[in-house]
Amino acid sequence: MSELIGKIGSEIEKIALEVVTLENGDIPAMGDVMNRLCFLEEKAGEIKEGAFNNLVSALKGYLEKLILSELDDMGPFEEGIEKLQSIHRAMVNEEPFRGDIHPLLKKLGFNSKPNDKGEEVQEEATPEIAEGEEKEPQTESTDAKEESAAESFEESSQETQELSEEDRQILQDFVVESLENLGTIEVSLIDLEQDPTDAETINAIFRPFHTIKGVSGFLNLDKINKLAHSAENLLDKARNGEIRVEGMVIDLILESVDMLKKMIEGVQDALETGGPLDAGIDIGPLVKRINDAHSGEGDKPLGEILVNKGAVAKEDVEEGLSKQKEEPDKKIGGILVEEKKTGSKEVISALREQKRYNRRHIDLQVKVDTKKLDNLVDLTGELVISQAMLRQNEWVRNANDQKLFHTLNQLNQITSSLQRTAMSLRMIPIKSTFQKMVRLVRDLAKNSGKEVGLEMSGEETEIDRNVVDELYEPMVHMIRNAVDHGIEMPDEREKAGKDRKGTIFLKAYHRGGNIIIEIKDNGRGLDKARILEKARSSNLITDEDQLTESEIYNLIFRPGFSTAQKVTDISGRGVGMDVVKRAIEKLRGRVEINSIPGEGSTFVISLPLTLAIIEGMVVRVGKERYIIPALAILESFRPQKDQYSTVEGKGELILSRGRLIPLIRLDRVFGVQGDSVHPWDGLVVAVESDGEQRCLLLDELLGKEEVVIKSLGESLKHTKGIAGGAIMGDGRVGLILDISGLFEIAQMN
Amino acid sequence: MSFDTSMKVLVVDDFATMRRIVKGVLKQLGFSDIVEAEDGNIALEELKKEKFGLIVSDWNMPNMTGLDLLKAVRGDANLKDIPFIMVTAEGQKENVVEAVKSGVSNYIVKPFTPETFSEKLQKVFGG
Repeated sequence: MSELIGKIGSEIEKIALEVVTLENGDIPAMGDVMNRLCFLEEKAGEIKEGAFNNLVSALKGYLEKLILSELDDMGPFEEGIEKLQSIHRAMVNEEPFRGDIHPLLKKLGFNSKPNDKGEEVQEEATPEIAEGEEKEPQTESTDAKEESAAESFEESSQETQELSEEDRQILQDFVVESLENLGTIEVSLIDLEQDPTDAETINAIFRPFHTIKGVSGFLNLDKINKLAHSAENLLDKARNGEIRVEGMVIDLILESVDMLKKMIEGVQDALETGGPLDAGIDIGPLVKRINDAHSGEGDKPLGEILVNKGAVAKEDVEEGLSKQKEEPDKKIGGILVEEKKTGSKEVISALREQKRYNRRHIDLQVKVDTKKLDNLVDLTGELVISQAMLRQNEWVRNANDQKLFHTLNQLNQITSSLQRTAMSLRMIPIKSTFQKMVRLVRDLAKNSGKEVGLEMSGEETEIDRNVVDELYEPMVHMIRNAVDHGIEMPDEREKAGKDRKGTIFLKAYHRGGNIIIEIKDNGRGLDKARILEKARSSNLITDEDQLTESEIYNLIFRPGFSTAQKVTDISGRGVGMDVVKRAIEKLRGRVEINSIPGEGSTFVISLPLTLAIIEGMVVRVGKERYIIPALAILESFRPQKDQYSTVEGKGELILSRGRLIPLIRLDRVFGVQGDSVHPWDGLVVAVESDGEQRCLLLDELLGKEEVVIKSLGESLKHTKGIAGGAIMGDGRVGLILDISGLFEIAQMN
Repeated sequence: MSFDTSMKVLVVDDFATMRRIVKGVLKQLGFSDIVEAEDGNIALEELKKEKFGLIVSDWNMPNMTGLDLLKAVRGDANLKDIPFIMVTAEGQKENVVEAVKSGVSNYIVKPFTPETFSEKLQKVFGG
């Protein structure tokens, strides 16, 4: 004990020495004193000396306020340290301390009252501040904030013209970066729905609001600042576990994200066009709802509902609420029933009513069945076609009416932007799919004893939601393949002079009307010799076959092909890459491989942006028109007589670039009357499907066109060789060819 | 100005716009040698590479918070004497006290003006 008292004594001495030279605002010194006080507080727990304990706590509280510049009078603090020394002296002499420290505690803003155990208990109190000494507090109290936030805000009339170039740049950065950050929130929220208490995820959602609040404060974007602040407060409560992030809270966060996006886009517009930065959006109601959610109550407090119903008197509710402050875990309804102020039946019906109120707010986000969206896309497609038909109508074309043309042009603009909007409704960023791969790579690496990192870019690239769902499986396969066959073991990599840790790069971007997804690894690359050997032993090719590099690589997409040395649980069972290719072709996409031995491989998937529209080559056979999907087309040419030959058992062949390709006569396949008797009378289009090539004989190329795909309906759905129909600009129907089905038909004949 | 503006300053924040703002304030005060870092880990790497005269760091960052960075700096014999200013948001008093206890040279509350920043620097460099 005496040793402890000695330790306490030397600590108090050090504090006393520091306080003499302590200047207000000398933060490092204050930090030092603070740490010493914390040490004393810890030790004080071991000696049962109430006055000493209270004084240390009081000094800590006062020092905190000094640090936060809420106070600047060092006097009471110095006095407190002196008193601490005298209490300590009494301890050393083993006599009770007889002084009254209450006036000092009061000065230090520490109110205490004895509780039933006879100990002193601290109550919240503010230090007495002599008049004229009061400092401007740095933060308003939260209550005041919420009240002002609940009102509508004055238009802040900051005009963009007054901005300096530097400010403009900062605002521009702010817009871009904030929107990017807000985009991450939605993904995090999905994660959070799986695990509502995951601190890391809550933090990831909290941070964008926090930074937007911070920066908007600098830029005088008051409304953005206010809203971000409310949302941040809500999330702060979630971080501390005071509220659970679910249902209504998630709705509120999403609404805040949307509204912030809107306002930040408003800033963007203002930067481009001039005008006020703070668009006329009223954030009041939303801020109020967020603040209501803090209290865990709905839009309307239960007490208020009960009063309105006449089930309970207003005074009783107020009394109940003050009771609730003492026992915060109790619900107001329960307290009122306990106090016999109202019946439980009334409370239950009031609770129901409260739930109804809470549901009554209108969401800025609406969930829509994707079928309805598809339908909308279909209809807009037809609208586009109808208006094209209208424009091409002979009577309209010959009408010499300026007004009519003007109206038609307007109609044209409206329909095309309507179509664009309808299309974009189904687009979602590929990010969520990419992010699922992070975990996959980590698990795969762990299981195989390799070190693998994943780098992503272009996650914001948007793609049709139906495509995204279909894309997940093939991507998993390819990443597995890259980890399993591509990336080497760490030691092997080191020997090859590479970083022990391999990397897989995921990249998405738009090119033309397609979305391109690259899966690249910096592993060992594909081994051509082994692929050939394997393909020969599985009878996929014969020894005579001379294959180009890309044809060799493409062998890995053949069914039954696998080069894994041993069967791991990851891949190597002969299932895999053929599934990938099929899945991607089902999406009307294609996949290509590039590989450099020792440096790695790249798989490039290109997919149409949407499944509703297809880019095709419109061709004519006799009087009929067909659409060949552009993705399948390799080349088109008018064959010379000497390129044509027939081989027993193989039928007609066309020689192109030194290779003999089987010829398919479209007129025969579809039983129509074509113009071209000989191949050199017509045109040939070389197409590819499943690694096989064929030449299609037809009469004329009519041009490229983007068409909206229509299914042929129930009865014709399974027609071989036809993928669907499309209405052309002149209102007639063109049939879209299904290339792999076409090959099968030709095979059978 | 009673502080040496030729020193190298490290600005740590995960939000690029915020770094830009802090840099702008520093430039207004005459500093020109400013290095940026996106989080505590990157900041530590920079600190190991060169000698800095001042660190200005945000509190709330992924991977490594400003507080962890402060503790790491104060716990490293080569770095422990570098003045460290923590940028905090209003209303986060417990953070300030936490930072002060961990040996921060001073703190500044967002949003701040060049004047307040200058005052804090005066205090840090004993001006």
